[in-house]
Amino acid sequence: MSDRLELIAEVEAFLYLEARLADESRYAEWLALFDDQVTYWVPKGRADYDPTTRVSYINDNRNRLETRVKQLETGVHYAQTPPSPMRRVVSNIEVTEQLDDGLVAESNFVLYEHSLQASNELRVWAGHASHGLRRVDDSFLIRSKTVEIVNSSRSLPTLAFLL
Amino acid sequence: MASKTNGLAANALATGTLVTDTTVDGRAYTDDGVFAEELVRIFTNGWVFVGHSSEIPEPGDYVTRTLGRDPVIMIRDRDNTVNVLANRCAHRGVTLLQQEVGNAVSLPCIFHGWTYGLDGALKGMPQPGGLSIARDDCSLDRPGQTAEHRGFVFANQSGTAGSLEDHLGPGGIELLDWASDLSPVGSLDLNAGWLGQEVSSNWKMWAESDLDGYHLGSLHRSLWQVVPDSQYQAAVMAGENIVKATTRDRGRGHVELEFWRGYDRQLAWLGVPRERVSDYCEALIERVGAERAEELLWQGPPHALIFPNLFLGEMNLAIIEPVAAGRTIHHHTPLLLAGVAPSFNQRVLRQSEAAMGPAGFLLPDDAAAAERMQVAFGHSGGVMDLSRGTNREVVEANGDRVGHVSDEIPGRGFWRHWHHLMTDHR
Ligand SMILES: [Fe+2]
Repeated sequence: MSDRLELIAEVEAFLYLEARLADESRYAEWLALFDDQVTYWVPKGRADYDPTTRVSYINDNRNRLETRVKQLETGVHYAQTPPSPMRRVVSNIEVTEQLDDGLVAESNFVLYEHSLQASNELRVWAGHASHGLRRVDDSFLIRSKTVEIVNSSRSLPTLAFLL
Repeated sequence: MASKTNGLAANALATGTLVTDTTVDGRAYTDDGVFAEELVRIFTNGWVFVGHSSEIPEPGDYVTRTLGRDPVIMIRDRDNTVNVLANRCAHRGVTLLQQEVGNAVSLPCIFHGWTYGLDGALKGMPQPGGLSIARDDCSLDRPGQTAEHRGFVFANQSGTAGSLEDHLGPGGIELLDWASDLSPVGSLDLNAGWLGQEVSSNWKMWAESDLDGYHLGSLHRSLWQVVPDSQYQAAVMAGENIVKATTRDRGRGHVELEFWRGYDRQLAWLGVPRERVSDYCEALIERVGAERAEELLWQGPPHALIFPNLFLGEMNLAIIEPVAAGRTIHHHTPLLLAGVAPSFNQRVLRQSEAAMGPAGFLLPDDAAAAERMQVAFGHSGGVMDLSRGTNREVVEANGDRVGHVSDEIPGRGFWRHWHHLMTDHR
């Protein structure tokens, strides 16, 4: 197998693991995939603006991402009590940048969420993720993650689960 | 624009019977006829918040909004006038602007190429020889009345609601002044954009939960477990007989939570010590004088509802957009201030992201409660009790009703005005 195919297979395995942990609301294990310095950004619409001057759905540093996860772990964050059953399909994975200490991977996702906490709706979420991954031994840590949701330019339903 | 008798004739439910001083029939949230009637009596015949003039600083800048369910454009004209226009071609009714925000030099319709100026006047059309009505009748519709206070732009579609001053009353005007005076130059600068949260509940549940001081310790307990040192713990959750925060009904449906009475220090609302924002404090003193400045530094921004759709949510402004009896969009923007350092407004933006929106730490739980209320009321009713604190509420000299922060004074104030508008007082 070529180096390139090997790298793609490695990135795929990592993104699939992240997706599975998020789908199953395995909060601590999911958080463990993130680096000490993190930018976790869910912009309004396209990720083409400065999030320090314009609103975003999520613009977490490590500290705030930990707060987010801890709130979910209380078991009484009622928007996710019980956690939404979810399954997401991650595809179109490309390594778009290779760096000395890591890489950037881009992917698409389609996510089905059952919001059974209240309104009992099946919600479909679709979008694009850009992962900045730092190479650590034979795996990665996420140092940045940007998720563009296709219909996020005006409003979204409750997004209290891990995207 | 719409006839106020339309919704009435079609509605089998007598809206006047749904509300008492302390109860609300669940059908006020679930009934399609009630919703249709609200669109007429509240959102067409009454004053509705549209936007803030700072959102459109330059000529041609616009935002698109809805009044009730009717799409409008708020646009700045070349002479700096803020116009509110129907977002609907006067010819065949196509929306002129689809974007939420932007800049336009004119307002063309895609269908037949009619083009309007920033004041809504028809500027041109292809093949004008066939025009069979007066050109003056081809301007874009406008609300019957548009008015502004400190940059807050309101519209009344029917034109029959009386003056904006009457709608706001001294209480509402004071709230808008208070929010604006927090800026050291006396004006807001709402330029960070809006986020919307789609919720499967009636719009009124947002008017209630945004102004409910009783639920913080229960519904939002997960946040306090994780962030135990916010200004709200002392203000609201220290124990029923200890907390000093209060609720206030200012009349006309404008209601308030006075968290600030329970703060334990100045600038608790901003979460920084005074030294960190000394330039801000000095500029504030310069403009409004030491006494008012010290008060403002303690209070921070108001937490209040301007009936029916504007929520002054401390470091946020929110618009409650009714979509259907069981659908609402709760939009918010950070309360950015003109005349402060960028770092100050960045702090406001960060706080706003933490609390508000679909992925905030607070609003998702409010949405869950609102959606479960909507489910609970089903179709045939059930009654909601809003009597909490009637045993201890106080009426002040100016008519304001005041009570414990956990008391349902805001809910009762909101529904009293709703009942007034939904029955035949005119
Ligand atoms: Fe709440």
